[in-house]
This record gives sequence, structure tokens and C-alpha cells, in this order.
Amino acid sequence: MTSAADAAPAIELAGLRKAFTKGRETTVAVDHLDLVVRRGEVFGLLGPNGAGKTTTVEICEGLTAPDAGEVRILGRSWRDGDDGAIRARIGVCLQETRFHEHATVREVLALFRVSFERGRSVDEAMALVSLEEKADARQKSLSGGQRQRLAVAAALVGDPELLFLDEPTTGLDPQSRRQLWQVVRDFRAGGGTVLLTTHYMDEAEQLCDRVAVVDRGRVIALDTPAGLIRSLGAEHFVTADVVADSGVAPTEAELRALPDVAAAAFDTAPGSVRLTLTVRSVHRALPALLTLLEQRGLVLGGLSTRHATLEDVFVHLTGRQLREGGAA
Amino acid sequence: MRWRVVRAVTRTAFLEFWRSPAAVFWTYGFPLGMAFVLGFAFQPAALPPVPVAVIASPGAEHYATMLRRSARLDVEVLDEADADRALARGRVALSLHVQDGAPVLRSDPTRPEAELARLLVERAMIDASPQAASIAPVRHEVEDRPGARYIDFLVPGLIGLNLLGAGMYGVGFNLVQMRTQNLLRRLFVTPMRRSEFIAGYLLGRSVLVLPEALVIVLFGTLLWGVPLRGSVLALLSIVVVGGLCFSGIGVLCASRARTIETISGLINAVMLPMWILGGTFFANENLEGPTRWAAEAMPLTHVNRALRTVMLEPCGLLDVLLPLGGFAALGGLCFWLALRMFRWQ
Ligand SMILES: Nc1ncnc2c1ncn2[C@@H]1O[C@H](COP(=O)(O)OP(=O)(O)OP(=O)(O)O)[C@@H](O)[C@H]1O
Ligand SMILES: [Mg+2]
Repeated sequence: MTSAADAAPAIELAGLRKAFTKGRETTVAVDHLDLVVRRGEVFGLLGPNGAGKTTTVEICEGLTAPDAGEVRILGRSWRDGDDGAIRARIGVCLQETRFHEHATVREVLALFRVSFERGRSVDEAMALVSLEEKADARQKSLSGGQRQRLAVAAALVGDPELLFLDEPTTGLDPQSRRQLWQVVRDFRAGGGTVLLTTHYMDEAEQLCDRVAVVDRGRVIALDTPAGLIRSLGAEHFVTADVVADSGVAPTEAELRALPDVAAAAFDTAPGSVRLTLTVRSVHRALPALLTLLEQRGLVLGGLSTRHATLEDVFVHLTGRQLREGGAA
Repeated sequence: MRWRVVRAVTRTAFLEFWRSPAAVFWTYGFPLGMAFVLGFAFQPAALPPVPVAVIASPGAEHYATMLRRSARLDVEVLDEADADRALARGRVALSLHVQDGAPVLRSDPTRPEAELARLLVERAMIDASPQAASIAPVRHEVEDRPGARYIDFLVPGLIGLNLLGAGMYGVGFNLVQMRTQNLLRRLFVTPMRRSEFIAGYLLGRSVLVLPEALVIVLFGTLLWGVPLRGSVLALLSIVVVGGLCFSGIGVLCASRARTIETISGLINAVMLPMWILGGTFFANENLEGPTRWAAEAMPLTHVNRALRTVMLEPCGLLDVLLPLGGFAALGGLCFWLALRMFRWQ
């Protein structure tokens, strides 16, 4: 059986707006945001601190009422008389939750399972995030990563169709992160839809089918990770450190004239100059660059290349870094 | 309401409480300790003698000897200056001055012990006079029969106080803590209903009041012979319904508070007046005017009164139906309001 609601996208947001007022100050957290998340995709909200990611997600979860705009979750609206019907089909992992301090992993999951009419067993949920060994460990004896995995398991225990993960991997070690990514992939493989927020561009690139870059409450770009990177016009970066005064440095125009180079930038540090080229293909640009430097008698202090990331997309779009302290 | 959900919430709430020793101690151990200490402190005991001064003068020794026969008086012979100073400082309650062969008593009547001292001194004088024999001797008995002592008054009051504390701290405080750690809103996004959560939470946090009350009663009976003259069923009903009534007040206070500071303030605002005027430590029936009205308006006054009735008088469940109905109504009203006002975040 398919009704109109079943065919609807997982999430539809239109003209969403939310402002917080404290005293005389008003912060617009979400500013006319439009978004459609399709069924079966992993959708990422990527943005810096305070971009409005959590606010957007919590509006979707029915925790926050928007000031204006339309919200439809699995074809239904909040406060339409049957919020319970939506809640029975979603799983939520808030940005920060502390469960009962003295409760064991098993007990926490049992509590979050009990109000669902159907769902996974507690053991299944523990197995999903590999917490079986900690089944009888209390909250206070869990590590940060284990708590985070438990929070995800608590979101999965009701066997939801739509999963909200607000920064699920912040603070996790690389192994735990990869483990959680696998949980998300498995969930998607089973037909589930995921809306996740993250600061990590590698996470967004690895995990998301589509990414919305959010800044100051607005979506400033939306595409597949590869599509977003392609939009830069060049997908690689070549960085060369040359020893200062070892020869005549090339000009920006000379660098841009090299094959497949889209842009060039200089950074002067004591004793060396860093050239950063944005290039379309490394195999054509790099030999040409090396030849040019050699002709000028410049001594190389270091050379590296890297693939463009969503971080670069963000810098390109806003002129700012995604996270304070620079790229990861 | 789905009972399996209520049960699960009850279990979690109970275990969370049971496993934190500090919470259990401050909610239950502390009142028990207090019952113990106060019980021993207010054992019936001989009253201390009242200090009086006799001012040194030729006739003084006669009066001093006369007063010393009273076991209730502690007599000192002082010169006038010392006696005045002792009186001014309250070290003696009264001074006796022999003027022209007759005794003059001097005291400040606003001091409560002055009146007692005067009566005791006059009594000692009457006893020493020749006419004393013609007055029929009055026998005096110390009231130390179970049921009439201060400890018999105190034990039911401590049960009441404990119900209040369990409702406010055990139920109210922790609810706000769950709110501050985002746990309430996390539960809110599951299909759990408010009523299921609140009912389960309340049961889990307050089932312990029953054993606690029993322990206090047992304590009182075994250590000091405090009687339980009414029916046990009536006592248990008051503990359960009275406890739910205070829990309702606790949940109501916690239904909107967002910070620990707010709930602490609210709890103090509710509990402090009841500690003072609720009739736990001192009878509030002979207060007058607005303080009396305030005391009568306090649920603790009525819970204590009902508990005392059941413990000290032979009565059954039917005799306490009225107060029980009152507690149920107040508790129900608080829950109803709390449910309507409750916020998850
Ligand atoms: N309850 C609130 N009261 C007042 N201001 C708020 C509230 N919630 C969010 N804000 C403000 O709204 C803006 C967006 O916050 P939000 O939490 O949605 O950001 P975010 O993208 O999730 O950030 P982060 O990456 O740090 O989690 C911020 O400026 C924040 O200060
Ligand atoms: Mg956030």
C-alpha cells in the first residue's frame, strides 16, 4: 500500500525561519531555509559553529517550533494532532544528551525502546554499535566514544525510517568514527534516510549522498560532495615551498599561464615563499611548475599536492574557514 | 497510558535513585538520623532548677535556707550589686531582698522564667509556714505514659516531614536535573506520552517512602515505646496518599523550572515555611491570627495531624477518609496543573 504521505520526501522544509531573542539581542538562527531530503539518502548539513544546523534539525524533530515556514516530516506536519505517529518513525541523536548516570547500556536502550510499538531488540541495537561487551556497564564508566555510540543505538532501537544525527562523531577517535560511518551506511542500505550535521568535511564526503553547506542560517550550496568540489572549477591543490632569495620568483600571471592551473597564491614566511596553485589536473600542471622553478634557479624546500575538499568549497563560497584553526 | 511504558520509567527512576547513595542518604537516611537524635534529646527528664539570688542582709540566711528546701530552686546569696548584675544578665531569674523584715521579690516579668521563679519561691514559703499543714497535700505525677510525651508527638511529625522532603527533593529536584542534561527532550522525541513519563517517574521516585515510614515507626516503637494505636492500613494510606500529594507539589514546582537554581529556590520557598509552621517540631494549634491561618493552609499540618491521629488514637481507615480525600484532591490538582504546564526542555 502506498498513500500520498508514503510517497512524500522524507523531509521538506520551505521558507523556514527561526530567531532567538535574549534581552535586546536577536539572533537569526535559521533564515529562510529551503530543503528537501529524499527517501533513502544520507543528507549532510555542513557548516561552521552557529550556522543554524542544530536549530534546523531540532525543528525537524519537533523540538523547536519555527517562527515561519513549512515543515513536513515523512509527509506529515508537527502539531497536526498526531505527533506520536511521526515520533514512532524517527530516531534522534541530539547534539548532547546525558543519559541516567547510574543506568547500564542495556537499561538505557530498554527505556528508549519501550514506547515504540515495534522496533529492534535491545541486543540487536547494542550489536549495531558494537557495545555488547559494555551491556552491563553504567554510563559513568563509559568513554566519550562509547556514550556517543550508545546515543546512536538509542536512536536506532525504535527501528526508525528517518534518522537524525547531530554531530554524531564529534570527539571520537578515527576508529570509532569509521565504525559509526559503517552504522550509517548499513542503515541506509536497509532503506533508511539520514539527516546528519557535521563539521568534518571528510565525513560529509565519505558518508553523504548530498550535502547542503549552511552558513548564517541559509543554504549557500547544495549538491553531491563531488559536485560541490567540481564547482570550484579545479579539484587539486599543489603547494610548493621555495627557499627565499634562491632565484627570481615567478609572478602570478606566469603561474596561471601553466597548463591546467586555475589560480595561484603566494604566502611569505621567514626564509621561504609558499606557492599554492589550484589546478585541474596534477599530472599536467606539476611537471610544468617544476620546470619553471628550475629555470629560475629556485631551490625547493617542500612540495605537496592534495585533492580539493568541501572545506575549500566553503572557503571559496564565504572567504572564511569552516572551523577556527584552519582545514583538517 | 500504556502500563509497560509506565513500568519501564518507574524502574529506571527507581534504580537511578537507589544507585546514588548520596541521594538516598539525604532523602531518607538524614531524616531517620534526625528522628534518632531528636528522640534521645527529648527524652522525658528532670527539669533543671531555676536560679534565684538572695541579697545578703541580716535576715537573708533565714530565707535562703527556706528556699533551699525546694529541689526546683538553685539559691545563691549575693551582695546587692552582684545580685542586680546577675538579674540584669539573666543569670538568675529573680532576687529576694529582705526589707524591714519582710521579703521583697524583684524580677523582670517579661522574662518567661521570672513567673516560674516567683511561683516556686512563693510555694517554698508556703511550704515552710505553719499553715501549710492545713492545705490538703497535692500529689503530682510525671506524665511519661506512651502517647503523651514529646517523642510521641515528634515521631509522626518526622514521618510527615520525610514525605515532604521525598516529594520535593526526591521527585522535584531530579526532574529539573534531567531537563538540564537534555534527557527529557530526548525522551520527548520518542512516542512516550507525558502522562506515562510523569506517572512512572513519580512511582519510581517515591516508592521508598513506604518502607521509610515503616522504619521510622519501628524505630519509635522499639526505642521509645511510641504507640501505634490506630490501624496500620490507615497509617499506610496516609503515607501513600500524603506522599503522592507532596510529590504532586514537587512535580508542579519542577514542571517549568529550567535551572537547578530555580528549582532549589522553589523547593526552599515551599519547604521552609512548612518546616517552621507545619507542626512537626512544635504544635501549631495554639498559634493565633495570620500565622495560624498560614499553618492551617499547609498540607504538612494536615498530614501530621492525620498521622498523629492514627498513631496516638485508636482509629481506623474510615476515621481518616476526610483528610485522605483532601490529600488526594490537592495532589490530583497539582498533577493536573503539572501535566498542562510541563515542558520537556
Ligand atoms: N535556545 C537558544 N537561545 C538563544 N540562541 C540560540 C538558541 N539556540 C541556538 N541559538 C543561536 O542560534 C544560532 C544557531 O545555533 P545552532 O545551535 O543551530 O548552530 P549549529 O550550526 O548547530 O552550531 P554548532 O556547530 O556549534 O553546533 C547560534 O548563534 C546560537 O547562539
Ligand atoms: Mg549544533
